[in-house]
Amino acid sequence: MTIFSQSVSPCGKFLAAGNNYGQIAIFSLSAALSSEAKEESKKPLVTFVAHDGPVYSLVSTDRHLLSAGDGEVKAWLWGEIIKKGCKEVWSRHPPYRSSLEVPEINALLLNPKENSLLLAGGDCQLHTMDLETGSFTLRGHTDYIHCLALRERSPEVLSGGEDGTVRLWDLRTGEEVQTIEVYRHEECARPQNGKWIGCLATDSDWMVCGGGPALTLWHLRSATPTTVFPLRAPQKHVTFYQDLILSAGQGPCVNQWQLSGELKAQVPGSSPSLLSLSLNQQPAAPECKVLTAAGNSCRVDVFTNLGYRAFSLSFS
Amino acid sequence: MSTESNKKRKPKVIRSDGAPPEGKRNRSEIDLEMKYYSEEAEVDIRDPNKDYDLYRFTCHELQRLMAEIQELKSRGSRDSASEIEERRIQSCVHFMTLKKLNRLAHIRLKKGRDQTHEAKQKVDAYHLQLQNLLYEVMHLQKEITKCLEFKSKHEEIELVSMEEFYREAPPEISKCEITMGDPHQQTLARLDWELEQRKRLAEKYKECLASKEKILKEIEVKKEYLSSLQPRLSSIMQASLPVQEYLFMPFDQAHKQYETARHLPPPLYVLFVQASAYGQACDKKLSVAIEGNVEEAKALYKPPEDSQDDESDSDAEEEQTTKRRRPTLGVQLDDKRKEMLKRHPLSVMLDLRCKDDSMLHLTFYYLMNLNIMTVKARVSTATEIVTPVSAGYVDLLSPDMILSCLYPGDHGKKTPNPANQYQFDKVGILTLSDYVLELGHPYLWVQKLGGLHFPKEQPQHTVTADNSLSASHMETTMKLLRTRLQARLALTKQFASLEHGIVPVSSECQRLFPAKIVSRLVKWVAIAYEDYMELPYTRDIVEAGLAEDTHLYYLALIERGTAKLQAAVVLNPGYSSIPPIFRLCLNWKGEKTSSNDDNIRAMESEVSVCYRELYGPRPGYQLLTNQLQRLCVVLDVYLETESHDTSVEGPKEFPQEKMCLRLVRGPSRMKPFKYNHPQGFFSHR
Repeated sequence: MTIFSQSVSPCGKFLAAGNNYGQIAIFSLSAALSSEAKEESKKPLVTFVAHDGPVYSLVSTDRHLLSAGDGEVKAWLWGEIIKKGCKEVWSRHPPYRSSLEVPEINALLLNPKENSLLLAGGDCQLHTMDLETGSFTLRGHTDYIHCLALRERSPEVLSGGEDGTVRLWDLRTGEEVQTIEVYRHEECARPQNGKWIGCLATDSDWMVCGGGPALTLWHLRSATPTTVFPLRAPQKHVTFYQDLILSAGQGPCVNQWQLSGELKAQVPGSSPSLLSLSLNQQPAAPECKVLTAAGNSCRVDVFTNLGYRAFSLSFS
Repeated sequence: MSTESNKKRKPKVIRSDGAPPEGKRNRSEIDLEMKYYSEEAEVDIRDPNKDYDLYRFTCHELQRLMAEIQELKSRGSRDSASEIEERRIQSCVHFMTLKKLNRLAHIRLKKGRDQTHEAKQKVDAYHLQLQNLLYEVMHLQKEITKCLEFKSKHEEIELVSMEEFYREAPPEISKCEITMGDPHQQTLARLDWELEQRKRLAEKYKECLASKEKILKEIEVKKEYLSSLQPRLSSIMQASLPVQEYLFMPFDQAHKQYETARHLPPPLYVLFVQASAYGQACDKKLSVAIEGNVEEAKALYKPPEDSQDDESDSDAEEEQTTKRRRPTLGVQLDDKRKEMLKRHPLSVMLDLRCKDDSMLHLTFYYLMNLNIMTVKARVSTATEIVTPVSAGYVDLLSPDMILSCLYPGDHGKKTPNPANQYQFDKVGILTLSDYVLELGHPYLWVQKLGGLHFPKEQPQHTVTADNSLSASHMETTMKLLRTRLQARLALTKQFASLEHGIVPVSSECQRLFPAKIVSRLVKWVAIAYEDYMELPYTRDIVEAGLAEDTHLYYLALIERGTAKLQAAVVLNPGYSSIPPIFRLCLNWKGEKTSSNDDNIRAMESEVSVCYRELYGPRPGYQLLTNQLQRLCVVLDVYLETESHDTSVEGPKEFPQEKMCLRLVRGPSRMKPFKYNHPQGFFSHR
């Protein structure tokens, strides 16, 4: 089993995880973290089949859990999801050109300012989805898109794809602002691994991306790589956390980096390789503030602090 | 003060003098008698208050007269004497009045006392009456509570429920209109109904008894008739023997076999009966026979009690002898062991014939002293099978192997009877497995076919052969045996060709694979369990408990150009219903296993998890070869879709020949391993 995606509920007490069989499991973080936690509380409260294909991405809004399967997005009410036989609230299909196979959706991204959902995946396009203004499509990538990141200060979104580029899009005009071809920069290019960009994160001024090329910190305005993180394995997920960068990918470790490029720590997890990290920073549940990591196994590792793995939740 | 003292003195005078003199003086003219008697009546007429006023007035007058007299006396004049006299007379009159009043007062007092006394007596009488009444009330209350607490016998009688009563009881008993409102009448009516019903039931009981008696008598009569039939029938049988011989009808032969079967020990007998029954009803290709020396079996059963005694005697003797003669200890233990492991002289043979005329011969034995059954198997095939030649091969058809784990976990190495362990301890046998080759395997299913059931927890003393247990397991076991034989025969054939690097794919399965497959199987060898455990990429399987001692292990090597794919295969003895598990290790640009390459993981799942589509024609004996063939295909896909390293000069080692919709997909960058048959392209699963 492979767990592709995770998302924490708006109350911060539950964690949803999606796997390659299209199932979503809901874990209770508060029960698993409480002092009287048993083996049972590390198992999912409920598991249901959400999609036919793998669940590559999950995000949470104030009320809904949005899940992306092959060519469709479904919304589930957090309030009712724990009950048995929960039905989706709605299900939408992005406007795809007809094709022999249904393109997958690799990334979902919420744009809270405009209350819209950005999604990208197998059809090499970005789609925004909004109840009021309808949707439009951003075209430009030449291969499928792996990941999305939102610049919070300006209404711009970054996308990284299999074609090896990171593109900046203006959400107001729907036009491409900037293209960074990461694999063309010698500092970070690794042709033996391919040119695909597997993960992307931004804090508006800076961007960190990795994948086939090495994990690299970029200054966005000047579009120059500033720090190359010395790690051989391709990275599948990266995120900023306080003044650290957390990344995970091939290999059983969560890597913690200083911005200067020093490896601060490598914390071993229980899966042979990791695909997603999730930081629970919901202010509603400070006792459930944990880092969770999931990947190529049925286990979701829980880190109560960044130093070591506390325990694992088990999907099955 | 003075008046009071007067008053006190006067009554005494009145009493001593009596009333008459007073009356004479007071009212002279009236009849004395009347006067006296009227005085009491007078009391009632006169008003006491007025008397009181009169008394006060008289006293006052007296005081005044006394004072006047005193004054006159003190003056001492002559004429005063007459005045004094006059005054004295007046005083006397006043005294009279006082006396009269005094008498009246006395009479009143007396009267008052009498009245009080009378009233008191009345009150006393009333009080007494009250006491009596209270006592009576108390008594009555006690009686009432006694009555209330009275337990009637009817309360213990179970009555039918209210609704049922009104529904079923006839109206003359239920009397709805009376009983509805009156619980007492209702209860009475219900009791009546109960009595009525019980009477009826008692009558019915009598009837039933009578009919039972009658039927018993009938049975008796019929039994007599049947027993008289026996000799007549046997005479007919005798007469029909020549006819049977003439017509080649083996009734008698079967009968003889049944005769022999009577000497079988109970478990073998159960097996014999159930197997032949199953053979007759469902499976014509199953033949059952009894082998062994009948005379020995007969001898064994004739003096059962004696032999037991002998045994215990000899035991005692042996103990004595062991004390005396030590050197023979080993020999005696050996004899004891032999005695313990002794088989019953008779055995049951089952021959299972398959469609292709291959046969599975099973011989069932019964170990008398251990109370377990064992089986020996032998395979005979119609055509000579080319067995794999290389070293390390376990012959899948060997008697030791073929029946292993027919049911999961049933190795047939340990005794299924928990009681045996104690018997073994006595004679120094460690495990039964050392003797299995000689005795046959005591598989659990064999015990079940013989109707022997051993509970896991406690050793039971008397385990008896159970027909129903045997019957319930017969059909599934026979089917499993046949499937096992065919699966093993198919595997043996397949292994022979795999050894030469050929993956046999039948025409029905061609559609599962593309026409052009470049990767080739170059090696197929059996490996030992320990070797498998030591392989670095099989750790997960071992940890998950999927690799056991009894399973079979193989190593396949598939090559294409410089790429070498090693596949470690776990073959469950229950193949093909339980699919083999593959673990892969690719040597190409470094060592790639499922722990460092997601696509290797996907390839493993493509063969080990998605095995259902690879079963081929039922019952799926081609699973293993199809899995190997698919492994070749997915290796092709893996190598051809690997992204080309632009920094290296020269052409790609593996040009893309397969048709793919997309090369990679999803966050884990999966390659398109799924083959779509009629169109011939590859897509993502």
